Amino acid sequence: MWAADATAPSATVSLSLEGVSKVFQGQRALDDVDLELRRGEIHALLGPNGSGKSTLIKILAGYHRPEPGWSASMHGRPFELGAPAGAPGAHFIHQDLGLVGDLDVVDNLALDGGYEGSWWLSGRRERRRARAALDAFGIDVAVEEPINGLPRAQQTMIAIARALSAGVGEGALLVLDEPTVALSAAQVRRLFEVVRQVRDAGGTVLWVTHRLGEVFALAERVTVLRDGRRVATVPTGELDHDRLVELIVGRPLDAFYPEPPPVGDAPIALEVRELGGGTVADVSLDVRAGEIVGVTGLVGSGHEDLLHLIFGADRPRRGAVWVDGAPVGRGGPARSIAAGLAFAPADRKRLSAILDWTLAENLTLPAIPSSGPAHWIGARRERAETLAWLERAEVVPPEPEKLFSALSGGNQQKLVLARWLRRRARVFLLEEPTNGVDMGSKQAIYEALSDAAREGAAVLMTSQDPEELCAVCDRVFVLRDGRVGVELERARLSEDRIVAETLRSNGEAEGEGR
Amino acid sequence: MKLFGADNLARFSGIYVLGLFILIFSLWVPATFLTVTTLKSVLGDQAITLILALGLLVPLAAGQFDLSVAQNLGLAAIVCGALQTRTGLGWPECAAIAIACGALVGAANGGLILFGVDSFIATLGMSSILLAFTTLVSRNEFVGPLSEGFQKAASAEPLGFPIVTLYALLGAAVLWWLLEHTPIGRRTYATGANRDAARLAGVRTARHTFLAMVICGAVAALAGVLVAAKVGQVAPTLGPPYLLPAFAACFLGTTQIKVGRFNVLGTVVAIYLLAVGVKGLQLAGGELWVTEMFNGVALVGAVTVAVFGNKRRNRRLKAETERA
Repeated sequence: MWAADATAPSATVSLSLEGVSKVFQGQRALDDVDLELRRGEIHALLGPNGSGKSTLIKILAGYHRPEPGWSASMHGRPFELGAPAGAPGAHFIHQDLGLVGDLDVVDNLALDGGYEGSWWLSGRRERRRARAALDAFGIDVAVEEPINGLPRAQQTMIAIARALSAGVGEGALLVLDEPTVALSAAQVRRLFEVVRQVRDAGGTVLWVTHRLGEVFALAERVTVLRDGRRVATVPTGELDHDRLVELIVGRPLDAFYPEPPPVGDAPIALEVRELGGGTVADVSLDVRAGEIVGVTGLVGSGHEDLLHLIFGADRPRRGAVWVDGAPVGRGGPARSIAAGLAFAPADRKRLSAILDWTLAENLTLPAIPSSGPAHWIGARRERAETLAWLERAEVVPPEPEKLFSALSGGNQQKLVLARWLRRRARVFLLEEPTNGVDMGSKQAIYEALSDAAREGAAVLMTSQDPEELCAVCDRVFVLRDGRVGVELERARLSEDRIVAETLRSNGEAEGEGR
Repeated sequence: MKLFGADNLARFSGIYVLGLFILIFSLWVPATFLTVTTLKSVLGDQAITLILALGLLVPLAAGQFDLSVAQNLGLAAIVCGALQTRTGLGWPECAAIAIACGALVGAANGGLILFGVDSFIATLGMSSILLAFTTLVSRNEFVGPLSEGFQKAASAEPLGFPIVTLYALLGAAVLWWLLEHTPIGRRTYATGANRDAARLAGVRTARHTFLAMVICGAVAALAGVLVAAKVGQVAPTLGPPYLLPAFAACFLGTTQIKVGRFNVLGTVVAIYLLAVGVKGLQLAGGELWVTEMFNGVALVGAVTVAVFGNKRRNRRLKAETERA
């Protein structure tokens, strides 16, 4: 505990946890963690994957029971930690949002207690209530849409509206677990406003994130977890970016982002001409061999669909794609892969790999090693080859028989990259490659990308993180309304510039930057 | 890997239970159970079901149902028999035509599925259409008797071993190689496990789905031709009773050897496990309903146990992931 504590009146403390531990299968996920949140405070919770953040949140929500020896209180009143009801007065927005995909927006909002006390379910009344709840947060969606049909960003906002619709007033605790993962810069700012409203009304906000920018923009204090222990709780004012990274990673970082390799006049590896389909109206762009190029934009500006169209995962309405000067044609993903394209979609759980298959099976799927006239797949050979790639890509644990679903987000992404490196892809199309990925894995992924680029591959990646785009990319395309709004060269790249250009599309009124 | 760990015990539980059955019935009804006749009847009676189940395994691996397999078998038997008795064609030609018809039925199923019709509905409807064709072709009468040369193809016993069993085991070996040890098989499983992810990894999922339905149709028809040869006289109601045993074997098979996947060895174990159990109970004086009761209870029981096992494994996995 730190010194300020002794003098702070206990009335300002909202949630207080002491000595929280959790053991899974003999391994300590949380080790004697203390956490103290104050009323009217936005408190960031940071730490690499596996540091125990999720476990702590789940204990608060009542999914897990902590080991004996804890004490917990809310506004000075003790409560039972790990009881199914969760911490009193707490609202949770989990990573998977907890929405029912087949139901529409109205039903999803009504599920949260909207049916209580009524014998007759009136569709009109529910719709009106849903509209009001969404309007309160400035969310503009058709309430009859099923959740599945909405972009992830809108789903997040709806989950937030649902959690808050009951009214988060004084004394409430709002817990958000990586809420901005799929949000555009404008939506992030909108969410910031909402969260600040909660704080100003006397509520407490616990904000779990990987994005350091958010911590400095939003939080008063930050708690860092590493390996299940609390490393520090510090006011953000006493920190700078580098110091915070050091706390998280546990060691000083000289070069977190590798230097992008020089490109010069390398030949054009990927050529996209007048491509259209989905939210993309008309996009043309080139990527040279050895180049890492970023794509960003607001939700609906086209960056969510662009890579799907280039890869042929979705059928383009118009336009064409060339790899190394040869037209790719419209044979779908199989044809694109043969032409040298590789695709790592943002939806890792559903699209990147087969969750209940082993690492070996997932790694080799695009090019299954078989030998002889019988095309025999030898288990030993496949294992050996997989092992070599797992070690090269720093996948932890390097066990070919492990199931893909047992890996952390970062390691899943490393495996997906390894799959395409093994295939010797010429052009890597990556959607939000470091979403939900911890610091250590991020670094490994950046290094793998710049290694691939150095060996002559071209990389085209979408990202919602201006910090990442600046650090990793040679050029960045900002999309607006399905077209290239502006192309930012290396010399003109800055976080502020990217944010400003991203926001320009929706009119200057919104563009205050952050 | 522990040889007798909980996972391995579950994987090979079918084989242990099979051994247990043999032991129990050997002690209970030694005079009738421990005979060559019983062995031959267990092996021979199950050969057709095994071949049908092997065919069905392919679309199941690709994530599609084929509820029309049994009626496809029935139609092929009738077509093969009718061609032989009503035209001057030799039996090999008749058999080839019947199998081609079966493949065509599979292609029609595949076409509907690729068009977007749910395989459950498409093949359910198809099985009704095939039933109509069966009645049409058979004129709702027995077809036969069939030529001796044809009957020999299914009733020969080289070295005292029923030849249809030989066909079935050969078929199992070929399918085991194809599904579990070639890239085609791996891609078929990928199609069934996660269609979208497989497609984005370069698997031509539409092609594999279609091919799976065609293979299933052709194999079902082959099984039909073999039944026709085995019985020599084809009843128009031959097909439907094969439906449940074939599905039961495939699903029971997912609890064996490669747990959680439709697999060939598991299916073979499941078929003979059920056959030995039923045979033993019959010999011990069980009544007619024993067969259906035993098949049903075994299927529901085994799959329920497997679901429990999966839940436990998933909980463990989840705990591991959370730690990571």
